[in-house]
Amino acid sequence: MIEINNINKAFTNGITALKNFSLTVQRKEVVVIIGPSGSGKSTLLKCLNGLEEIDEGSIVIDGIPLDHQKKNRLEIRKEVGMVFQSFNLFPHMTVMENINLAQMVVRKKSAAQAQETTMELLTKVDIASKAGSYPAQLSGGQQQRVAIARALAMMPKVMLFDEATSALDPEMIGEVLDVMKNLAKEGMTMIVVTHEMGFAKEAGDRIVFMADGEIVEQGTSEKFFNNPEKERTKQFLSQIF
Amino acid sequence: MTCIRSFLRGSLLISQKKRVNKLNLESVSRCLTSFIIKQDKGCIINRKRYISIVFAWIKYLFTVLLLLCLINKGAESLGYNWQWYRIPKYLFSFDNGIFQAGPLLKGLLVTFQITSISLVLCIIFGFITAMMRLSDSFAARTLARAYLEIIRNTPLLIQIFFIYFVISPVIEIEAFTSAVLALSLFEGAYASEIFRAGIVSIDKNQWDASYSLGISKFHTYRYIVIPQAFERVLPPLTGQIVSLIKDSALVSTIAIYDLTMQGRAIISKTFLTFEVWFTVALIYLVITASASMVANMLEKRMKYENG
Ligand SMILES: Nc1ncnc2c1ncn2[C@@H]1O[C@H](COP(=O)(O)OP(=O)(O)OP(=O)(O)O)[C@@H](O)[C@H]1O
Ligand SMILES: [Mg+2]
Repeated sequence: MIEINNINKAFTNGITALKNFSLTVQRKEVVVIIGPSGSGKSTLLKCLNGLEEIDEGSIVIDGIPLDHQKKNRLEIRKEVGMVFQSFNLFPHMTVMENINLAQMVVRKKSAAQAQETTMELLTKVDIASKAGSYPAQLSGGQQQRVAIARALAMMPKVMLFDEATSALDPEMIGEVLDVMKNLAKEGMTMIVVTHEMGFAKEAGDRIVFMADGEIVEQGTSEKFFNNPEKERTKQFLSQIF
Repeated sequence: MTCIRSFLRGSLLISQKKRVNKLNLESVSRCLTSFIIKQDKGCIINRKRYISIVFAWIKYLFTVLLLLCLINKGAESLGYNWQWYRIPKYLFSFDNGIFQAGPLLKGLLVTFQITSISLVLCIIFGFITAMMRLSDSFAARTLARAYLEIIRNTPLLIQIFFIYFVISPVIEIEAFTSAVLALSLFEGAYASEIFRAGIVSIDKNQWDASYSLGISKFHTYRYIVIPQAFERVLPPLTGQIVSLIKDSALVSTIAIYDLTMQGRAIISKTFLTFEVWFTVALIYLVITASASMVANMLEKRMKYENG
């Protein structure tokens, strides 16, 4: 489903965020990426839907290569949904409009069709009553659930989560994680960057630990958490637990 | 407020003396006093503000009076003969009870026409220039940059002359069109900087969110960036309108009978120099002050909306 081959990414300020990074994700697989701050997790996700350009290597998602062709890039963005740490809802639009927009502009749905999908999704993330509210009127957890619904409205084949719960108050983390767990159960292909080890253990098919732009160790969640091989991994895990 | 209160107390006392319906009255009076106390609290805050406003106005009027006195002194020492009574007919008159606009009002209308058309064009030029400066194309950016530098580093008067005396004979346009063109090109350059600042001020996260949904650059501008930038840009843009109105006085130099030019024409006929310039200045002041007021109101409303 996702093939990342030897990608390199350096920023203009000379920082190398990704070094010879390779990763393959199967259909319906949930890959959880963990790692210390600045290890390049966000950069990796942004490269996957072309928000950042890679310097070298190749990315192929569902058979479409992410290259310099605008058409392919847009095609990939349609197939790849992304949820951000800071929600990034459009503040001047209601919840309904936030979710309708891409359906109408990109998928060319009629307003009525879009609305129908939107209401279904809002029910799914359990927030249908807020369809007419503006983002500023919602709690963080509610905003993030709307952001997830917005991404799902494009019917993506892959979902990327970049620390989706890091900006939330503790009592709201659960409601967002529940939505993510449900998605995983339904068979969505997911790459999840998170610090929530509970989620990683429960929903992650594979855990990838990265540091300094490289994969240090990866494995099934059981193996990864119970017998990590590398010293670096043990050190990181001991810091967390 | 105090007057109403004493009135109510008075009437209560009277009715109490009459001992009419005592029970009912007590509840009514409790109700009323609580109402009065509530009103009073509001009053204290309002009174402070009220006093400061009154003070501001007194200071203001005092300054104006002082200024007028000085002017009068100066005019007296010049031997100037004030003839204010001759001014109204240049504003308007009634011919057989029918309203007739005088030259000053006609001039004001021309000023309005020029500024309103220029305003629309200025916004269009400003917007296009802003988009060019933000575009990926080197040629577009350079072109926009050159336009900005030329406009901002030469006097508006010279630009008006240049368009009227050099360009207009070539492309055969009238004085009015030249004036509108010159003004809108000039103000457009400044408006473009306002637009650009507004667009740049939108958080990069908004772009990321939009792009991640597969929305194109054009649609991101259209549905996400520009609507949000518009709100932020509205107050400074209103300020630009004030400049436009003031700068429009310069078109009187190319024989356009706007407010300023009409003033000059009346003076050359009647020698009512002081009276006419005062009147003209006052008219400009009223218009620009109202525009500024609208700008302030918009700014306040924006602040409320954004928290
Ligand atoms: N736009 C940018 N320009 C320059 N450097 C950047 C940019 N974005 C990220 N970096 C740098 O690239 C490195 C990787 O950043 P990235 O945001 O991918 O880390 P991360 O693993 O997501 O960290 P965190 O857990 O703090 O979110 C960091 O050193 C960061 O400073
Ligand atoms: Mg990050």
